[in-house]
Amino acid sequence: MKPTREPLGRSGDVRAGKAFPPAGVIDDPVAAAVQGELSAQPPLVVAPVSDAEVFTPPRRSLIGIWRRALSLVALVAVWALVALLFNDETVLPGPVDVFSTLWQNMQTSDFYFHMYKTVLRVVIGMLIAVFGGLVIGLIMGLSKWGEEILDSWVLVAFTIPSVVYGILAILWFGLNDFAAIVAISVTAIPAVAINIWQGVKAIDVSLVHMGKAFHFSRRSILRKVVVPQVIPYILAALRYALGSAWKIATVVELIGLSSGVGFMLHYWFGLFNMTQVLAWTVAFTIVLLLIEFVFLKPIESWLTRWRPANMQK
Amino acid sequence: MAEPYLVIDNIKKEFPRRTEAPLRVIDGLDVGVEKGALLSILGPSGCGKSTLLNIINGLDDVTSGRIVINGHEVSVKSRSKLKIGVVFQDSRLLPWRTVKDNVRLPLDELGIDRAEADRRVTYYLNLVGLGDFGDYFPLRLSGGMQQRVSLARGLAIEPDLLLADEPFSALDEITARKLRQEFISIWRATGRTVIFVTHNIREAVFLSTRMLVITPRPARTHLDLDIDVPYPRTPEDDRLFEIEKRVTRDFIAMEEASV
Repeated sequence: MKPTREPLGRSGDVRAGKAFPPAGVIDDPVAAAVQGELSAQPPLVVAPVSDAEVFTPPRRSLIGIWRRALSLVALVAVWALVALLFNDETVLPGPVDVFSTLWQNMQTSDFYFHMYKTVLRVVIGMLIAVFGGLVIGLIMGLSKWGEEILDSWVLVAFTIPSVVYGILAILWFGLNDFAAIVAISVTAIPAVAINIWQGVKAIDVSLVHMGKAFHFSRRSILRKVVVPQVIPYILAALRYALGSAWKIATVVELIGLSSGVGFMLHYWFGLFNMTQVLAWTVAFTIVLLLIEFVFLKPIESWLTRWRPANMQK
Repeated sequence: MAEPYLVIDNIKKEFPRRTEAPLRVIDGLDVGVEKGALLSILGPSGCGKSTLLNIINGLDDVTSGRIVINGHEVSVKSRSKLKIGVVFQDSRLLPWRTVKDNVRLPLDELGIDRAEADRRVTYYLNLVGLGDFGDYFPLRLSGGMQQRVSLARGLAIEPDLLLADEPFSALDEITARKLRQEFISIWRATGRTVIFVTHNIREAVFLSTRMLVITPRPARTHLDLDIDVPYPRTPEDDRLFEIEKRVTRDFIAMEEASV
């Protein structure tokens, strides 16, 4: 906690001058209260505060954006260097080849069809995973009983490799979108649930006691005190779910489906076309980055706007 | 004579234990104060203070005896008839809500309509001197300011009783000193009845109209003192100092006797 600075010239504070009621006016506190509460006159200020006590966070600058862009450029530069070293496009094609292939792909309608298919599966699977994981995680975090019943299930489900879910989903539901979505959500649910579960355990109990001391209903405590504290964990889970959903989608598309980015990767891998494999990978990476920077980051910074910005040094 | 506004009538509290005899935490506390009083309760640490606060706030029931506030007997069941505001040692504000929304929180819970809630939020934030800071988030305020918000929150429900649980003990002495002065002004301006729990003898003497010193566990009344010094008081007042000296001597004797 930062030490409080005393205002220097208290008499200089305009509010202080008219603020303190003359000592003789409120001899009877009860009468004064009634007067203060019922009359429409501007309320009296008895405890003036100086601006010196307020902590003003530094403004976020554009420097962060520049740093991010620079770091991406550096990554591409390293790639270009290593590709130059190999000098063989069947081993590692350079960024120029890959991006020009990507550009050509983007002129075809096939590109958007496959991209759309994968994005659809990923987004639906992810949303189901976040919802399912949130419910399971809340139950595990809030109830001893729920934790005892569910924790071993979640841990078992978490250890099973996602390929297994992919194979099972395809065997059970056939070669279709439904199988892919089931595989994605089942794989991501345990990780989301574990995140939320830990998040609920880490909440500030003193705030819950505050709610109880003011006799809030259980519902209000859950909605107004518990869930807002879990939001950072929900965001982390969302991010994790997005990343893993895309990986599983690719695997499922690769082993069974005839559409989507995974299918295209499989196709070009069969033709030993490394440039196309990387072009598709880069394409999807860009889509994920767009989702991150267009949706997740703005939502996150809005939801956590109450945090002073300089906590991260 | 009519019953006082706040009555604590021979309350006892025991917690059952599995193998041993029940643990007696409170063993007969008695006090009665009029409306608008500032009753401080002073006790050594571990004197059953939080149990006592829970009972007064209707979160726990007494084993025997009764507490009556404004004609209503307090119990876990009947708690909704009374409004009790609480100020904690730490401010316990929700950091993701603005100062205004924090003060409004218990008002929403009581189902107070929007216009009235707005009026009260403005009124009480002005009262604690934070009228200009309603749209700030709590983490941008200093510890002393956060504690003022917490006080505004406790007062905004216009409570039958304000429970202050060592509200200044986590602050640095200079801030605490300033807030004590302001606490008195605010208390006198609102006319609320206050129970102020503290370990700080000087603070208790300086603030209160009535002072209850309780023994180490099980808590009993050790000393029940009227502090008949008119307000506004100054910390340097000799009368207060005499009382403080006396209570301190007494307190030390009590502590030594209990070891």
